[in-house]
Amino acid sequence: MNTVGDLLHTVTADNISDGRKRLGKSLVWGSALLCVSLAVLQAAYQADHISIGFETWRPILYAYMLWATALCFAQVIVNGEKGKRTLFVLPAALFVISLVVFPLLFALYISFTDWNLASPNGPQPNGWDNLVQMWNDSFYWNALKNMVYYVLVVGVEYVIAFGLALLLNAQIRARKFFRVVFLLPLMLSPVAVSWMIGKSMFEVRFGPVSRLIREFGGEPTFFGNPEIARFMIMAMDAWTFIPFMMIMLLAGLQALPREVLEASKVDGASGWQSFKEIVFPLMLPVSVTAVVIRIIFKLKLADVIINVTSGGPGGATDSVTSFIFREYRDRSNVGYGTLLAMVYLVLIIIFVTLLLKLVSRWMERPA
Amino acid sequence: MKVDLYNYIKAAQKMNRRQMLKGSAALGAVAMMPQGALSDGHSNVRAEILKIPGVGAGSPTDSDWQKVGKMCLGATKGNVAEGEFDGVELTFMGLNNQNLHNFLFRGFLKPWEAYTGAKINWIDLAQGDYNARLQQSIATGTVDFDIIEMGAPFEGDVLGKGLASEMPEWVKEQIDMDDYVDYLKAPVGTWGGKTYRVSIDGDCHTFAYRKDYFGPGSITGRDVPTTWQEINEVSKELIGKEDPLTGLPAHGYLDPLKGWGGFGFYFLENRASAYAKHPNSPAWLFEPDTMKPMVNNPAWVQAIQDVMDLIEAGAYPTDQINADPGTTAFQQFLAGTGSMLSWWGDVGSSARTSDTSVVGDVVGFGINPASDRVYNAKAGAWEETRNEAPNMAYIGWGVYVMARVDGDEKKKKAAWSAAAHLGGKDLSLWASAYPSGFQPYRNSHFQYEEWEEAGYDREYVEDYLGSNADSYNHPNAAIEPRIPGIFQYYSVAEDELAKGYAGQYSSAQETADAIAAAWEKITDQIGRDSQISVYKASLGM
Repeated sequence: MNTVGDLLHTVTADNISDGRKRLGKSLVWGSALLCVSLAVLQAAYQADHISIGFETWRPILYAYMLWATALCFAQVIVNGEKGKRTLFVLPAALFVISLVVFPLLFALYISFTDWNLASPNGPQPNGWDNLVQMWNDSFYWNALKNMVYYVLVVGVEYVIAFGLALLLNAQIRARKFFRVVFLLPLMLSPVAVSWMIGKSMFEVRFGPVSRLIREFGGEPTFFGNPEIARFMIMAMDAWTFIPFMMIMLLAGLQALPREVLEASKVDGASGWQSFKEIVFPLMLPVSVTAVVIRIIFKLKLADVIINVTSGGPGGATDSVTSFIFREYRDRSNVGYGTLLAMVYLVLIIIFVTLLLKLVSRWMERPA
Repeated sequence: MKVDLYNYIKAAQKMNRRQMLKGSAALGAVAMMPQGALSDGHSNVRAEILKIPGVGAGSPTDSDWQKVGKMCLGATKGNVAEGEFDGVELTFMGLNNQNLHNFLFRGFLKPWEAYTGAKINWIDLAQGDYNARLQQSIATGTVDFDIIEMGAPFEGDVLGKGLASEMPEWVKEQIDMDDYVDYLKAPVGTWGGKTYRVSIDGDCHTFAYRKDYFGPGSITGRDVPTTWQEINEVSKELIGKEDPLTGLPAHGYLDPLKGWGGFGFYFLENRASAYAKHPNSPAWLFEPDTMKPMVNNPAWVQAIQDVMDLIEAGAYPTDQINADPGTTAFQQFLAGTGSMLSWWGDVGSSARTSDTSVVGDVVGFGINPASDRVYNAKAGAWEETRNEAPNMAYIGWGVYVMARVDGDEKKKKAAWSAAAHLGGKDLSLWASAYPSGFQPYRNSHFQYEEWEEAGYDREYVEDYLGSNADSYNHPNAAIEPRIPGIFQYYSVAEDELAKGYAGQYSSAQETADAIAAAWEKITDQIGRDSQISVYKASLGM
């Protein structure tokens, strides 16, 4: 039995022989060698350097799975009890790596090719061409500018959501009923919202809202004018997701310590003073969390736009995601579309990291 | 038979000698049949199915489609034994537009499934998703369907890559391909001399207009416009007037200003073909020797300018910038908004037989408008002569069987039998007469008396069918090329057009230049040399 190291978590003694260790290592390295060799051979076959190869890359996937299995076995063979503990995490880690890292690397490669789905030659590397094209693509920058507007609107959504949360937290009649009713939009798919609201309620000829406007002598236009169209998209998206912020804020309000609120009343604070000095500051961590999550949701905004306006008129409602969707799907321009998505991913990571850094200051409490 | 009688029948029925002999032999055989057998004859089936449900009896439903499918099983029974395909499962990919296409196919094929024992699984796609789904399947080698509803423009992508199964001889006989209108015969549906397509539709855009807008005493007081120049004049004159049917604002021509997965580009083509398709060349989209886009030549720019002029004048309904072609046909024109439209022929049958149409009694048809002048791309100059060039947009839907069934004879026969059932001579008559997404495409569809039996009045049906026939047979018809990636060209074009219409580009020329630049890029990506050779072949050059 080991007498040194982590004795607290040691269950059994591990007297692992050198031969067993060699076996474990050779399993890992052997399967790794097989996987890499097959991959190299297949790459050479695909590039027409050799004449023997597989029809698809599937055998290499099997070799990778063999290596992953061997790696897991080897943990126990080489490290004994300690290796078993590793096995609690290792398969999950390998799974994540397989499904995130590999596709990401593949996407990175694709984004530097001119891959058009109709091209008989498949993806062909084209250096920095896609980046140069992106730099000169005013409609991509326009979509990014729209994203700034869309994200800024989260502030307005927050105010409305906070107001609704305060209302539903108050002692009003049929409070439970209203809580359910206000949550209903969140339960709808944005695609359903697009059709029921955007393409039916606001249909310019026979939609009920249009008829109402005509009754009052107006001529309805919802998606013809760039500013109004952008506002309509913001409104539909807000209608769907304000309940999400509202429910988070409501949970926060209900968790507020009642003693502090009652003490403020005893001290003669007015409703506004109580809100400004006590409720809002205490709600700040919940508020920041709700806003950050909402912004992350907002950065993915696409479904309503795709269904209702296709980014129009003239890109006025385009989000980056809807723009990429059209580039990728309608034009089958996989290489350029992937590059745009990768750049957007980097921008999102930078933006969210800065945002979290910034809000962490507000969320810090005095020691 | 007397020679003059023979010549008369041949001319009247547009028959060739072979068809005539077939007909005579059939007539002889029929004459020898007992009286009882005659009552179940072919022509009787045609008359009976056209009564389901009958014009004015509301839109057909699933039970109607099943009835029609069952009554048209005769040809299948001649080639397939009952239960012959027990255990066979097929996957069918098609559209679900306006609750048509696959919805009908399900009903038509249900009796076929019951008879043959095969089972069909369905992949339904919206029109806008079709091109993307197909391209992804091809590019990633994941063709997961055995039968596909597909238009001829995609033949370059699918047939050119050897992904389809060659049509067996028995199918050709079952569906009577000689009956197709001329422009749907080879090379359409063929690749490298082999036949792959069962036609279920013949496509061309025709001009539909509201009769109550034109003529003496109407709100325009003018004759029906026959040129794009007149159409723009009338559309501007109608601003501020009231629609006689709905009481809402009156409008002229309805251009869709929003894309539709590439299909929206056909609607600019309607205008452009009259300006750009000169009778001296079949090419009007690309220069055949270089694949240089013609889309930014003065003819196309004029077509874009026409649309921009109407936008500028405020001649379109509100929010037209957000109207795709489906909206202009089904939510606007058939519902009483706007007075002129170019669309596929099924607007004609839908006008009378769809529940959502209010214009059935006031709709008229013609071939696509002409232009007062035409651009001669070879000479690089306008010619002041009237030019008609109806747009054979999409060349019709067809049913294709994929090559992946070739390894299994039973499955292959089942797939082709299903395709042949959908493309059957009788069933297609019904589909062209009722809302289906398809329009007439066989010579036998133009027998007006059959339509009268369904409840259409003679004048209407001659008007509607005549516009189709005149377009198909037009000597200067604008045929689109069957080249790989054609819908990428269209898709990028409608995207750029949408930007131009919204004022993102400073002029029609700049919009057209943006399209041309994008087209050049696509050609380079796909391979210029291969595109040139396929393009020339598709134009018969």
